[in-house]
Amino acid sequence: MKKSVSWLLIFTMILVTLAGCSNNESGGYEDVFYGTFSGEYKTINPYDLSSVTGYTIISNTIDGLVENDKYGMVVPSLAESWTKNEDDTVWTFKLRPDVYWVDSNGQKTEYKVTADDFVEGIRYISDPKNAAKNFRTISSVIKGISDYYYNLADIDEGIDIGMTREEVEKSFEETVGVKALDEYTLEYTLDTSTPYFLSYLVMELFYPVEKEFLNEVGEDFATSKETLLYNGGYYISTWERDKLIVLTKNDYYWDKENITVREINLQKVGDEITGLEMFQRGELTSCSVSAEQLKALDGTEWEKYVNLKEKNTVTFWFTMNYQSKNPEYKTFVNNLNFRKALLHGIDRVKISSLYEPNQPEFFIRNTITPEDTVFDPNGVDYTDYPNLKPYKENNPYDPELAKEYMNKAIEELCSEDGTINGVGRESVDMDRIAKFEVDGKLPVDIVLATTTDPVETKKALLIAEMLKQNLGEENVNVIVGYAATSFQDEVFSPMNFDLVDDSYSFKFADPSANLERLTTDGSLNEGGYTVEEFDKLVEEATAKSDLVERYTIFSEAEKYMLDNVIIIPYMTGGGSYYISKEVPFLTPKGQFGLTKYKMKGSKIQSDPVTVEQYEKLKAQHEEEIEKLFQEGN
Amino acid sequence: MKKYIFKRSIQSLITIWIVIFVVFMLLRLMPTSGYFTRDDYLTMTEEMRQAYLKSIGVLDPPLTQFKNFIVNIFNGDLGRSITVYPRLSITTILKEKIGYSAVFGFASIVISMGLGIPMGILMARYKGKIVDNLGTFYSVIVRAVPSLIYLFLFQVWVSKIFDLPMLFYKDRPESWILPAISMSLSSIAWYAIWLRRFMVDEANRDYIKFAQVKGLSESYVMRKHVLRNAFVPIAIGIPSDLLLIISGSLIIENLYSIPGMGGLLIDSIKQMDNNLVQVLVLIYSVLSVLGVFLGDLLIVFIDPRIRLTESED
Repeated sequence: MKKSVSWLLIFTMILVTLAGCSNNESGGYEDVFYGTFSGEYKTINPYDLSSVTGYTIISNTIDGLVENDKYGMVVPSLAESWTKNEDDTVWTFKLRPDVYWVDSNGQKTEYKVTADDFVEGIRYISDPKNAAKNFRTISSVIKGISDYYYNLADIDEGIDIGMTREEVEKSFEETVGVKALDEYTLEYTLDTSTPYFLSYLVMELFYPVEKEFLNEVGEDFATSKETLLYNGGYYISTWERDKLIVLTKNDYYWDKENITVREINLQKVGDEITGLEMFQRGELTSCSVSAEQLKALDGTEWEKYVNLKEKNTVTFWFTMNYQSKNPEYKTFVNNLNFRKALLHGIDRVKISSLYEPNQPEFFIRNTITPEDTVFDPNGVDYTDYPNLKPYKENNPYDPELAKEYMNKAIEELCSEDGTINGVGRESVDMDRIAKFEVDGKLPVDIVLATTTDPVETKKALLIAEMLKQNLGEENVNVIVGYAATSFQDEVFSPMNFDLVDDSYSFKFADPSANLERLTTDGSLNEGGYTVEEFDKLVEEATAKSDLVERYTIFSEAEKYMLDNVIIIPYMTGGGSYYISKEVPFLTPKGQFGLTKYKMKGSKIQSDPVTVEQYEKLKAQHEEEIEKLFQEGN
Repeated sequence: MKKYIFKRSIQSLITIWIVIFVVFMLLRLMPTSGYFTRDDYLTMTEEMRQAYLKSIGVLDPPLTQFKNFIVNIFNGDLGRSITVYPRLSITTILKEKIGYSAVFGFASIVISMGLGIPMGILMARYKGKIVDNLGTFYSVIVRAVPSLIYLFLFQVWVSKIFDLPMLFYKDRPESWILPAISMSLSSIAWYAIWLRRFMVDEANRDYIKFAQVKGLSESYVMRKHVLRNAFVPIAIGIPSDLLLIISGSLIIENLYSIPGMGGLLIDSIKQMDNNLVQVLVLIYSVLSVLGVFLGDLLIVFIDPRIRLTESED
């Protein structure tokens, strides 16, 4: 009996495998993408996304006005064409007619995608009740949206602003700069001149939503596949929470010729090791490879398939605390020579190799604005502007120079016997991060804050060692402090650090994305510095709508930050290793928003992509982009 | 007996009430910064964070919140998750997840009792023999080696040898085997080792020796006297084991990608999802208290010598 059952099992399994193999190839390419997700994706509410899985799901199921093509160019999506006024404050979009929303069975609904749906999307996010956390990214873009939001927020908090909630809600059309001129014409009115407005439109916050449907589902909106409508290349056909998501090709899609993969199948896999094992057994199309796994694959047949993901626009930088509770450090950090000593004393390549052991140099970034991201109308990369080019191209690591600057700083700040001027014996209390006594003498105590995450800890210890070696053990003493729970609560909010590093994302195609937030009052000024000159330059630049002029002033501002070593950018994000059967460089490419997660145009070959093939395709892709630029695009 | 049950019920209710109240209030003592990620601090203004806190209802006075919670529970409304699955109703979460955990939990209890108890009996019966040594070896390995290690090896190797799927799939029964067995590996050892211990203890008692001297057969003595008495301390835990199957296993569910309850409580505490924590605490505390209660009642039926109240003497 037992034997026959096991034979039956084996038989069914063979059948299942066979069934899986046949019928999923079209023209030499497979037409189902098997992927994984590891962590939880909390929600697929398009206006409250926070994970890559959420982005992947929504970008493939809902389209916005524009998208990126495989070269990163902005191309029409649901908008067929657009015009703008002279100073880039009023943008009018002509929508593609007769696009219908489909439901989770892939059936056409009665609802058309109209200009009203885009207005409704903005209305949804600008109501604090809907708690769209990413709202701030656009709160200073669309005219009146910020006032509208805060009026509602005030009313909810019980503050009397002389209007009821209903009255404010009714005023939406007059106060907020988004309007449906007719069924297929949409107009945005912006606060200031925003030549890079198109780069905002690939963000989920600008996505449409069908009003009637939204009212119908109410609070359940986007909590199941039935309570969301789709207008993208796919619809969600299966959704088992924390288990499996299947996206199936939308037959009513306006661009369905370019939907080359019939189905996207994403299942939850708890850890990377299982993912790799499943890939090796042929159950997955793509999987990530950790730095440790990479070592294990060295010398095996799989080695030749491991590729490196391109770097992205996230930048890591060091923040220095200019108002430190530690008087020794406070004295030193406000001295330019000491900051230069730090700049030249940190070996970026060594830090980067903790993440990318094979090509650490590739991930160094010494500018605040990412390269290959912001281009002026002449196709010149913003980071290639003369003010920034030297920073972009030179790795500042130089232990000799670091020592030299350190000695200069000591000369300026200390008396002969190594006593730091103006600093006496004192106890420093940085709560759970560090508590210690300073003696007002060299070496300078530096509190380096980190977390208990193993890689972060390793990184902090490495940096501590570096500083001691390169600035001299007699000159600096690094105290590594650990935040056990919330980094924000223990380190940033109470400013319990001297030196700390973190990663910062870049949200839209203009240097102001980071620079405006780094001003004296900006939200990224976590070191409490004052940079009036920089503030002035940023203000001046933001008012300019001529892009070359604008970028030139921004580059001056950025140069000021880098010359004075106010913060120390050192590395890019991205660059994890992966193995995949998906042919690279075919799907939309973009530095912002969602469209880079689209699978449009994707091809899945039967064997994993080799490093050789990848390099070849990459060169070809770059050549094509070069050509596009020369043709004046 | 009736009086005892009544008294215990009242005690249980009070215990549950205290647990819920204390947990509820402790959650409110946490700093509100816990509702935000590091990224939220970079992207939201102070006012936006306030508006967000308002929208999730944590700015009301704690006692008002507690009252609302209790009233809603009695109206059958468990509320909505805040951060773990934003805006999803908790009833839906539980409906989707409890089934998976309960099925695997139940299967695991059946397997571990089905294998563990006979194993314990054999080990006790052949104490010091090869069976006993093998059993002890197994138990020590399983209990001493961190479970993640052998569970992971089990997943990779056994699935390879028998050509079984590495993950759980709802519609492929062969994929249910590995997680159910992995979940039982350590509890088999638990049942075996404790039953063996109690049986060996019992077998050295005078009355057993007397029974043997009387000429009763070895198997009769084992079955009727030793096993029955040794089973009492084991039995006391069975009701709560059965009730708490819905809590799921964090490691197994993660390893085999089973969308069950394992880890849900931890996630919700970590992400400060007050509503979800409250409901889970309520459910788990009710079940635990009930489990202990039923365990106490159960042993009365197994062992008539045990009296729960003095007055019945």
